[in-house]
Amino acid sequence: MSTNKIDPNKWVDKYSDYLFNFTIVRVNDREIAHDLISETFLAGLKSMKNFKGEATERTWLISILKRKIIDHYRKSNSKKGRAEVKIQYNDDSNEGDWLEENAPDRFDKTAEDIMENEELGIAILNCMEHLNEKQAKIFKMKTIDGFDTEAICNEFNITPSNLWVIIHRARTSLAQCLEKNWF
Amino acid sequence: MDKKKSLLIDCSDAAKCCDKKQYNEASVTEKLKMLLHLIYCKKCRKYSSHNNRLTELINQSKLQTCTENEKKIWKEKIEKEITNI
Repeated sequence: MSTNKIDPNKWVDKYSDYLFNFTIVRVNDREIAHDLISETFLAGLKSMKNFKGEATERTWLISILKRKIIDHYRKSNSKKGRAEVKIQYNDDSNEGDWLEENAPDRFDKTAEDIMENEELGIAILNCMEHLNEKQAKIFKMKTIDGFDTEAICNEFNITPSNLWVIIHRARTSLAQCLEKNWF
Repeated sequence: MDKKKSLLIDCSDAAKCCDKKQYNEASVTEKLKMLLHLIYCKKCRKYSSHNNRLTELINQSKLQTCTENEKKIWKEKIEKEITNI
């Protein structure tokens, strides 16, 4: 039964932060992440008719994004291969050593750090799904982007008291949601 | 008794102060009043420890948000592609 519908006009507002955090831990470069997400949206639009509605829209977009990330690494690896051919790798001091290790290492963190931070980030974003749109937006601005109380109040035309009530509700909901696995 | 002058605050004020503290926006007086409240209120002690842990987790996760400009570029690309389909 097809229950999940597609609405590309809402993709950016609904999923961009999720897709972005999913990508940035894998490619570690803001610009590349941005391009990969652009490609994902465009590929999504092209294959919209293949969406059966069995998965959620977000899961479906993530599956496209995963392919894009793999392709990105394939491309950069094949470039690395070509460069290696041109390198003279048996000089006097370093005789016969394979220069693979001289290629830049993309992971400056340990695999475990990446996995844990990624899981945590995704868990937090998943829990934010339970907040309504305004709550989530205000919470992100305040907590992740670190905006001033005053700036947020002006933008949303609310009083500081309103803001703290919203923040309180968001924090209570998030803490409850994360309690089982992370507290 | 004047609420502002009293050292004893209720749970909702304590919670509000605890939230402000997560963003370093609680004054010294507010923090003192909250600590005093926490001594005798088990429920708020629990909220406070959860709230601190939440801040810790969010910092640890290194979450980032997309800028409005990035979102605008994506939206434009999507709109353009939709009109082409």
